[in-house]
Formats: sequence, structure tokens, C-alpha cells
Amino acid sequence: MIDKAIPLSGLSVGQLAYVRRISGHPDHVHRLEEFGLRGGTRVQMFRRGSPCIIRMAGNKVCFRADDLLRILVEPETASS
Amino acid sequence: MALTTQKTSLTVALVGNPNTGKSTLFGALAGVHQHVGNYPGVTVEKKTGNMEHAGRSYELIDLPGLYSLAPRSRDEMVAVDVLLGRREDCPPVDLIVCIVDAGNLQRNFYLVSQVLELGIPTVVAVNMIDVAARRGISVDVQRLERQLGVPIVAVQANRRIGLPALKASISAAVDRQPHSAPSPFPEVFEDETSRLESLLAEHFVEAGRHQPLPRCLVRRLLLDMHGYLAETLLGIGKGQTVQNLEAARARLADRDCPVPAIETTARYEWAGTVLEGVVSESGREQTSGTDRIDRLLTHRVWGTLVFGLLMVVVFQSVFVGGESLMWPIDAGTEATGRWLEGHMAEGALRSLMVDGVIGGAGGVLSFLPQIMILFCFLAVLEDCGYMARAAYLMDRIMVRVGLSGKSFIPMLSAFACAIPGIMAARVIENERDRLTTILVAPLMTCSARLPVYALLIAAFIPERTYFGGMVNLQGLTMAGLYVLGIATAVVAALVLKRTVLRGEVSPFLMELPSYKLPSPRNVVYRVVQRGWLFLRCAGTLILGVSIIVWAALYYPHDAEVVEAEFQPQSQQLQRRLDALAVGDPRYAEVQQQRVELQRAIQGAYQRQSILGRAGRIIEPVVKPLGWDWRIGCAVIASFPAREIVVATMGVVYNLGEDIDVESPGDTGRLHAKLHAATWDGTDPPRKVFNIPVALSILVFFALCAQCAATLAVIRRETNSWRWPAFTFGYMTTLAYVGALVTYQVGMWIGGP
Repeated sequence: MIDKAIPLSGLSVGQLAYVRRISGHPDHVHRLEEFGLRGGTRVQMFRRGSPCIIRMAGNKVCFRADDLLRILVEPETASS
Repeated sequence: MALTTQKTSLTVALVGNPNTGKSTLFGALAGVHQHVGNYPGVTVEKKTGNMEHAGRSYELIDLPGLYSLAPRSRDEMVAVDVLLGRREDCPPVDLIVCIVDAGNLQRNFYLVSQVLELGIPTVVAVNMIDVAARRGISVDVQRLERQLGVPIVAVQANRRIGLPALKASISAAVDRQPHSAPSPFPEVFEDETSRLESLLAEHFVEAGRHQPLPRCLVRRLLLDMHGYLAETLLGIGKGQTVQNLEAARARLADRDCPVPAIETTARYEWAGTVLEGVVSESGREQTSGTDRIDRLLTHRVWGTLVFGLLMVVVFQSVFVGGESLMWPIDAGTEATGRWLEGHMAEGALRSLMVDGVIGGAGGVLSFLPQIMILFCFLAVLEDCGYMARAAYLMDRIMVRVGLSGKSFIPMLSAFACAIPGIMAARVIENERDRLTTILVAPLMTCSARLPVYALLIAAFIPERTYFGGMVNLQGLTMAGLYVLGIATAVVAALVLKRTVLRGEVSPFLMELPSYKLPSPRNVVYRVVQRGWLFLRCAGTLILGVSIIVWAALYYPHDAEVVEAEFQPQSQQLQRRLDALAVGDPRYAEVQQQRVELQRAIQGAYQRQSILGRAGRIIEPVVKPLGWDWRIGCAVIASFPAREIVVATMGVVYNLGEDIDVESPGDTGRLHAKLHAATWDGTDPPRKVFNIPVALSILVFFALCAQCAATLAVIRRETNSWRWPAFTFGYMTTLAYVGALVTYQVGMWIGGP
């Protein structure tokens, strides 16, 4: 399971994935979780780069990762 | 205005995530009975309104959008305090309407879970069911109501669908007992809560407080790592309780229940249970209109290009549109001035009315259209959802300065006024980023600078157009001043983040709301509100300062001292005039000489006035900038608020100077007066204003911190006098140096 996880930035545009792990300062991670971005959330890359735009639960969210906050995702196998 | 002691109406608080249509629902419920103010002590907007239903009246409170009740930023603290009935200016909340987005129930129910714990009757309004349906999501409201045990109403706030049902539900729920939700937390956590609860109760008895903390607050105390609640709820004996809290958290961490992660785990688990079988998705991912627009507007090249074009359009419209709407106001104030001049006896009172009130405050009025046009654009961009895209585009640039895209929205608001800009910085969680944003936001060209820019540009920058009339030089100068403000802010931020406010770059997370047509109601409301604020400012502060400036420039009006030395000359001219026939060609010449003498007398009056003396004292300081003492006076007088400078110039250049204002090609009265102004004691008279002087004033105003209100807000937001003092110091220095360089370089290139 874990070895399939890639950083969020590794997704290509339109690719769907599930969030596996968010690591970083507990407070930052908690903020992301309150925002709805947490383990198991289905995300889709809309625009790559830094910051990137991802789609989650129908909403678009703009996100810039850094050295302290990493989101690992597992791409959906039947991704197109 | 309801007092807690004698409640005439019931208080209903609206809570919800950002972008769930909360404000639209508030507007739909309250109608025109809205009131926007501030919570005293903090600069958080307080929106209240009234609603009548079935013979009862309700006071509605629209709270800031929240993702969580764990208070981190100022908005959240205020919202939590209002909900807990801890703000003296707000009556205790009788009912909560929690508004949720049908398309994202999971996340919204995280907040619902926190709200239900408060022990206040709650109604949940599910909004935007139509939008969710278009995305293939359907919500079974009846089932949700059964599983949640709280009244639920489906609404479409923007189309005012479901409002009667919501009102009925509110009035029914108000009388009922609050829903008692079982805690979503595991037993281990509840044990710790009980332990803390009894510890605190003991503590409170010792301290002589009668009311123990309700359990939901004890829980929040345990969960909130930021210490805001510990600070506000506990007061005395805090140290011991904080130790207890830390010990409790350590025990929880040992038992696989770490704070704060346990809160999200437990609440999302609860949300999963409550929402079981409620949401069904058809699974088809379709491209929405928003996506198509975003493909263009968030594109690295095209998106940036559109953004740039948009900014040009905004500023061109402000200038061109404002100019064409200005003349009726100008004509009106001028006519009033003339009328007063004709109908009042000469003396101090007439001078006060004509030069002080009409020439001062009236002159500022004519900039109302420009300010309203700018606010209209900002309101439209914000309301349709574009602002967040602009923040996304700007993040790439902001991150290089050490800030995030979140700092961009406050800075863009600062283009209208630094105060809402500084207040908007509240959403930035990182303290250093917030401070940097606050300190550089006043460099953005706010609407108070527009009057100065508009006056000097229209008067001194030649009217030339390029590209077949699409771009004009005046507009370009205006744009240049905006760029100057931005560029200076960038450099200032860079320097601040490298020196005083060094710190790591914080993560950036922001929702991009779906595009929607801006609601004319919201836009009109915001524009009118801003316009009214400006008028009120013109009516009080600017009027007051205009009168003070007038007085400082009029008194001591010592006729004997001033006119004595002109007396012989005046009498001689009068005799010559009496001797000549009206038709004589020399008659006009002598008449002209008399007018010039009159002007010299008025100049003498000004020079020996209080402000004139002050101006002449600082003249050596401002002379290298190309300014005469009158400009110096105007600048000194405008330190409380920069828009006053137009009024001050109106007074300074107006007072008694009965010059020919009918010179062709000039639109405004003040323009003509400025063109005619000459240096004192120069023969032949040398004009005060030329392009380098105008540019030097413009640059000074672009960079200077002439706004007492902004400094007061910085003081309040940073809780220290150090930062407003710092802002004032660095901006004034920049302004002086900038103006000096501009004038000297301008003179070197263009000559006088």
C-alpha cells in the first residue's frame, strides 16, 4: 500500500488519487484536516506547479506544499 | 441594540463554512434591515439584521465564515465568543442556524458536530442543493434529519427558495430543548474531560466563581492548543490549569488519543455515521463552466495576461469614468460657493463658508464617483469569485517576497482603503506574514490618494492619447503611480522578511469558490456603504480639518499690520482709477494693477497667518522637492488624512485670490488656481507648478503614511505602538527621498 504512495506533486493533470498520509507540523496537519483534506480524501489534480490547484469534494483548492508539509497520495488504479 | 437584561427579540446566529452562501442567506432573511459595524476592540466586521416571523422578532447575527470552532484567527475568536455568549455587545444566542453546502457535507459536518455540542437549539440549512445536483450529487434530506435528530431545511439562498420553511423551523426550534448529542469522542477522552471538569469546578469554587464551565467548554479547552480559550476562560490561577491541561494531553497521547488529531478523527467518524446513505453520487465527473473558465484564468501565461488587462481596465475606468461624473458635483459646489459669495456680507464668516467649507470639504466631494467606481469593481471581482484566482496567480510572486498568496487579497483591498486591507490580513495565520502584510499594505494606492492623483494629473499631465485613443497619458501616469506603490511594497516586504520579520515560509491553502454572477444587491450594498463612509468622513473629519486649516490660514487677520504697507500704493491706484474714464484703454491696465495689489495683500495675509508661518519655517526642508511653502502647508495639514490635501490646497490657493478662473481649457476651478499659482517674491512671477513639481508631490503622496486612521488600526491589530511608529517612520522617509529624487531628476531632464 505505502509503496504506491507518491507526493501530491507527482500527479498529472486530471489524475485522481486518494490521500494516504499528510506529514508535517501537527498544527498544520490539523488545519488541513479541518479543511477537509485528510487521509482517504479523493483528490484530482487540476493544475500542477507551486502552488497547485486540486479538486476535492467538488471544490477547487489551491495548495502550496513545502519542506515541512507533505501530502502523499495513492493514484487511483483505473485513472485515465 | 438589544440589551441582555430586557430582551425584546430572540437572537439567531448564522454559522457556516466560507463559501456556503451564508451571507446570501443572511441577506435573504434580513432583507433591507441590515446593519454593518465592528465588534468593539477588534476589527472584525459585525453584521446584524432583523427578521419578523409569526409575530415574533429575531435579531440575526452573521458570523465570519469558519471551518472550525478551534479559534486561531481573530474572526474565529469573535465567532466563538459570540456563540458562547461571552461578548458584552452581543446578547446570548438563542438559536444557531448552521448553513452547510450540499456538495461538501462531509467537511461541513465537522463544524456541525462542534456547533451541536454547544447546547444551543440548532437548525441546519442545506444550501446549494441545485449546484450539487448538477454535479450529480443528491442529498436525502429526510434521512439526514432522522439520523441527525436536528431540524434540517433545504434552501437555495440565492433564489430565495425554502425561506418560509426555514423561518418556520427557526420559530419552532427556538422553544424546544437543545439537541443533546452523544459525544463523538472515545471514552478515554471523555474520562480526561470529566477529570478536568471536576478539577476546574474545585478551582472555581476556590476563586469564588459560582458558575462552573459547561462540559463543552472543558472539551474545547482540552482540544485547543493555541491557548486562546485558556487565556479568556480561566483568568486567575491559569498557570496551574495550564499544567493540568498539558498533563492531560500527555496522558491522552500515551493512550493513542493525541490532541489535536483526535478531534478530526472523532468528528469525521461521527459525520460518516450521520451521513450514511444520505449522499448519493452518480459518479459522472463532468467539466463545469467554472472549470472551463479556470483553464484560462489560472493559466500561467493567459491567466496572468487577463489579470494584467483587468487591472488596466479597472484603473482606466476609475479615471475616465470618474472624470466624466465629476463635473456635476464640481459645478454644484462652485455654484453654491458663488451664491454664498453673493449673498453674504464680507468677513470671516463668508470666508469660512466659501473658502473653508465649500472650497475645502466640497472639493473632496467631487472624488466620490471615482471611489465608488473602484469599490464597484472590487466588489464585483470579489463577489464573482475572481479574487481567489488572483491570489493563486500572485502566490508565485508573493512567495519570492517571502509571503503567500493570502497576503495578496489584503493588499488588493488596500487599493480601495488600507484599513479593510489591514483588517483582511486577519485571515493570515502566520504571524510574521500577517505583520509584514500589515506594514506594507498602506503603500498600496488607496482611494484617498485618488483625489490628489486625479487633481494633479488632470491639471498638469498633458492630455495625449496613444493606440487610437485606447490609452491616454494621464491614465498611464496613474498606472505608473500604482506600480510605484506596488514595487515599493514588494521591496519593503522583501527587506522586512529578510531582517526584522525573518521566518520560514508557511504553507498556503485556499479555497477557490465556483464562479457565479455577482449579485447586484451585494455589489450595490458594498458600494453604497463605502460611498457613505467616505461622505461621512468628508462631512466630519475632512470638514473639521478644512475649517482648522482655513482658520490657521486666516488668523490672526491683522489688517493694520498687513495692509499698512500697501496703503499708499492702494490709495494711489484708486485715485488714478477715479481720474480715468471707463472706456479709457489705461483703465483696464490700472484695474489689473489693482487686482495684482489685492493678490499681494492676500499673500501677505497668508504669510503672516499661523499656518503660513509654519509653512515658511519648513520651506527650506521642502524647497529641494520643488515645493513652495503653500504646498508644505497643505502637506502638513494632510498628515491626519491624505485626502484632506485637496481640501487644503483648495483653501490655500483659494483664499481671497480673486484670479481669473475662466481661463479656457481648464475644467475645474482648482485646476485653474493651481496653474496660476506663483512663487512669492519672484519677479517676473515664477509659476509654482510644473510637471516635475506635480510628479514630486504625486510620488510623496504615493509613499507617505498620511492617515491617522490606518496607523490607529495598525496599533489595534498589532497591539503595540511600535509598529505604527515604524510604519510612519519608514514611509515618511521613503516619501521624502522619493519626492526629492523625482523633482531633481525631473528638473535635470526637462528643465523648469
